[in-house]
Amino acid sequence: MPLIELVNVTKRFGKIVALNCINLSVEDGEYLCVLGPTGAGKTTLLRLIAGLIEPDEGEIYIGGRKVNGIPPEKRNAVYMFQNYALFPHMDVWENVSFGPTIREWEPRRINDVTSEILEMVRLGERKDAYPHELSGGMQQRVALARGIAAGARILLLDEPFGALDARLRVNLRTQLRSLVKDQGLTAIHVTHDQEEALMVADRIAILREGRIEQVGSPQEIYTNPKSIFVMSFVGGANFLEGIVSKVNKFGSEIKLRGGLCIRVSDQSRDVGERVVVAVRREHISLGKSRRRGFNNLLGEIEDAMFVGGSMEYVVKLENDMVLFSRILLEGSSKPLRRGEIVIVSFHPRECRVFGYPKRGLLREIEAI
Amino acid sequence: MTRKIISIDLSRIVVSCTLIAFLIFVVLPSFYLISYVFLRWDEVWYEVFANPIIGDENWRQIIKILLFSFRLSLSTVAFDLAFGIPLAYVLARKKFPGKSLLEDLVTLPLVIPTSGFGFATLITWTSSSGLGGLFGSAGLISMNTAIPLINVPFVLFIVHVALTFPYVVRTVETKIQSIEETYEIASRTLGASSLTTFRRILLPLSMPGVFSGAVLAFARSLGETGATLIVSGVSTTASIAIVRWASEFKLSTAAFMGSLLVLIAWMIILPAEIYVSKRRRFSRRQLRIPISLSMKIVKFERFLSRKLSMVKDIVPLIIVVTVVVIPIAVVISSVTLYWSADPYTGRIEGGVIYQLFGPSRYFSLIINATLTSVIAAFISTYIAMCISIPLSFIIERRRYGRILRTILKVPMIIPTSSLGLSVLLLWGPSGLGLVDSGIWMIILTHIVFSVPVIVESIIAAYEGSGVQMYEETARTLGANAYSAIEAVSLPLIKGGILTGFILSFTHSLGETGATLIVMGRDATIPVLVVNMVEALAIPAALFTSTYLIILSLIMLAIIRILTRR
Repeated sequence: MPLIELVNVTKRFGKIVALNCINLSVEDGEYLCVLGPTGAGKTTLLRLIAGLIEPDEGEIYIGGRKVNGIPPEKRNAVYMFQNYALFPHMDVWENVSFGPTIREWEPRRINDVTSEILEMVRLGERKDAYPHELSGGMQQRVALARGIAAGARILLLDEPFGALDARLRVNLRTQLRSLVKDQGLTAIHVTHDQEEALMVADRIAILREGRIEQVGSPQEIYTNPKSIFVMSFVGGANFLEGIVSKVNKFGSEIKLRGGLCIRVSDQSRDVGERVVVAVRREHISLGKSRRRGFNNLLGEIEDAMFVGGSMEYVVKLENDMVLFSRILLEGSSKPLRRGEIVIVSFHPRECRVFGYPKRGLLREIEAI
Repeated sequence: MTRKIISIDLSRIVVSCTLIAFLIFVVLPSFYLISYVFLRWDEVWYEVFANPIIGDENWRQIIKILLFSFRLSLSTVAFDLAFGIPLAYVLARKKFPGKSLLEDLVTLPLVIPTSGFGFATLITWTSSSGLGGLFGSAGLISMNTAIPLINVPFVLFIVHVALTFPYVVRTVETKIQSIEETYEIASRTLGASSLTTFRRILLPLSMPGVFSGAVLAFARSLGETGATLIVSGVSTTASIAIVRWASEFKLSTAAFMGSLLVLIAWMIILPAEIYVSKRRRFSRRQLRIPISLSMKIVKFERFLSRKLSMVKDIVPLIIVVTVVVIPIAVVISSVTLYWSADPYTGRIEGGVIYQLFGPSRYFSLIINATLTSVIAAFISTYIAMCISIPLSFIIERRRYGRILRTILKVPMIIPTSSLGLSVLLLWGPSGLGLVDSGIWMIILTHIVFSVPVIVESIIAAYEGSGVQMYEETARTLGANAYSAIEAVSLPLIKGGILTGFILSFTHSLGETGATLIVMGRDATIPVLVVNMVEALAIPAALFTSTYLIILSLIMLAIIRILTRR
């Protein structure tokens, strides 16, 4: 049985629909990332589960119990704000023992539990420090310890690394995940950083404009995106507009602007349908010779950028369409120069085909 | 389940009790005066417009007094704005040694009992122990010397500037601090001079602050009583007129004048509130100036920016020193001069010691007044605290909070003498008849203006410390609504609560206008200063003013320590 379950949950603020008929379930011990652009309703989702706000429609279950109308203090779901919200007027010890104290446990038990948990997060020696005297990493551990001490089974993490610099962020990610896993906690982690989500999550839920676009493991999301939006938000890709001109048992042929034709393995489209072909940057190779079984197009290098370990090229095709290609730098290989004419190749298997979106392609990509 | 029901009921009880207390102790007295005039319109008509002996002489008096009051207040605010905005800019943006001292000096008139301060200014300008002494004359100017053009007595003007200056400076300073410096930097790097940047970028952005500062200053000047009573000489302002009429038992005329002042205060604050809340829409519609002219202005500003940068820093400083520092220094030095005997005639009857302990026994009066003041200040502040703390939470959390906050502005800008009159008419023998003039009525009056002061400082602390986030975290950690407030929110806003307490205490200690009307026979210290000046017991007044000023300096120091943390 899932630990947290949302059934047809809708939340409105005035006329704005923040969440629209959300169905989501989270297993016990799972680390779920909710990924989406700003304003997608991620924070609203967390606040609903925490009980800080109530849904307008639908039910929320925690541990099989319906929690609509139950106040936050009875849900065992700890909300962690971006800066951890460690109480500034209390020291580490008081912060961690806050939950047990407020629940009026007997003093001995409070003492035992608090010191045990502090040892566990390696902060036993800093118990008299105030939050502002601690580093970002320590603050995170205190916040976690505080949650565990309060008997939390669920951690609700609202952009937990938003306020930190890039390097620290990467370190803390792994630390947080292993602490959560060690404690057997269930975590819902909200972020707009796709790299972060791919790294820490057991499963990712992609949220967009109050709706869930796709739920799946990181690999699934990356390799099998269900929509143009998901594909462009997670990893990014080249999107080429075209019309299906031929379908046979090996795949289909798609006519792009300017008379260019490419082959794709997808056979599910009808002839004449308007489609968008998506190819990841790393699946596009640039070379001097044509590759067998690949789509081979002629292009000119417009720009070349070094992105550490690989090169990113902007290539203009004959029909003026622009493609991005990412190529690993290996050994002595020399980067291509601007203005060079190259053959752009990609395999039909790596092409994903989507129906042309109703609201236009740009809107799907730029909604990020 | 039962616990949940109990907690919901409890919250309902707390909210409704708070709102009822707020209504009875704060709202009712603030609005009663107007309804009084309506209910007893016959009496008002008879006394003001159709007196069988003097006809509508009272009405003509009211018009004359109101016009004078307006002239005084408007010119004061104009002066405040002209010099207060540059000073606010300097305080908000520059770092320099002695900055916090300068801030304290600007704030000082807010905490100093105004009658003591008024007396200090009077001595400074018009007596031989003040600035006059430096030039060997009896006084630089006489009490009634008027400033040409606006025809307002100089000393009165100076006192009003000193007392209203902090409102403009502090409000605008806070506003400028909240504006990111990036806009100015962008403007400067795009080639605008500092003056152009100020006019085109900073001033429009800080307009809401300028506006509310000006409204507060105007209201304060219109309602100022304590210092005005001492320095006004032959001229009469609206608030003084109310005090005089109330003491002559011309209650209807006083009430009519008072409600006129309340209405005017309302007419000023409502548009200002609307303007401030809709600032974005207004600020976009700017006056179109032809390009050629605007280029000339920009060029001129570039020239001025280079030449005048020092002037804008120094002039406000000179003003602060002249209107705040010198009077205080003079009054303190005069006490030592007059300590044992009058320094000019040598008579011991003119000395502080004789007046305090001699036959007039001012010392025991001072002791009594101190006791009355402290007790009244303590009780009224305590009751105001009990209302203010829950009220601040209600204002922050309920949708109708904004309305409550606007209502709370009323006691802040009502002339205190109108307020005193309102309380007297409401609770006193001619109204509900529950309380007689005296210390209890002083307490009831002081509660009215203490609540807004405390609420404002609690709200400032509340909004500054992110209470909401901490409280929500506490809730998810297992604290129920009440223990979250108790364990997290209240300790977080402790500083604001304490500051509010001291501000309200000081305010109550120094209040004159309302107290004069409701005090009966229980005089407070500031009122005593007024009485002493009227009895021409100058040395005793000197001593009492110094005593008051030192008391409030101590209070200011405590506030400083509390807010710095």
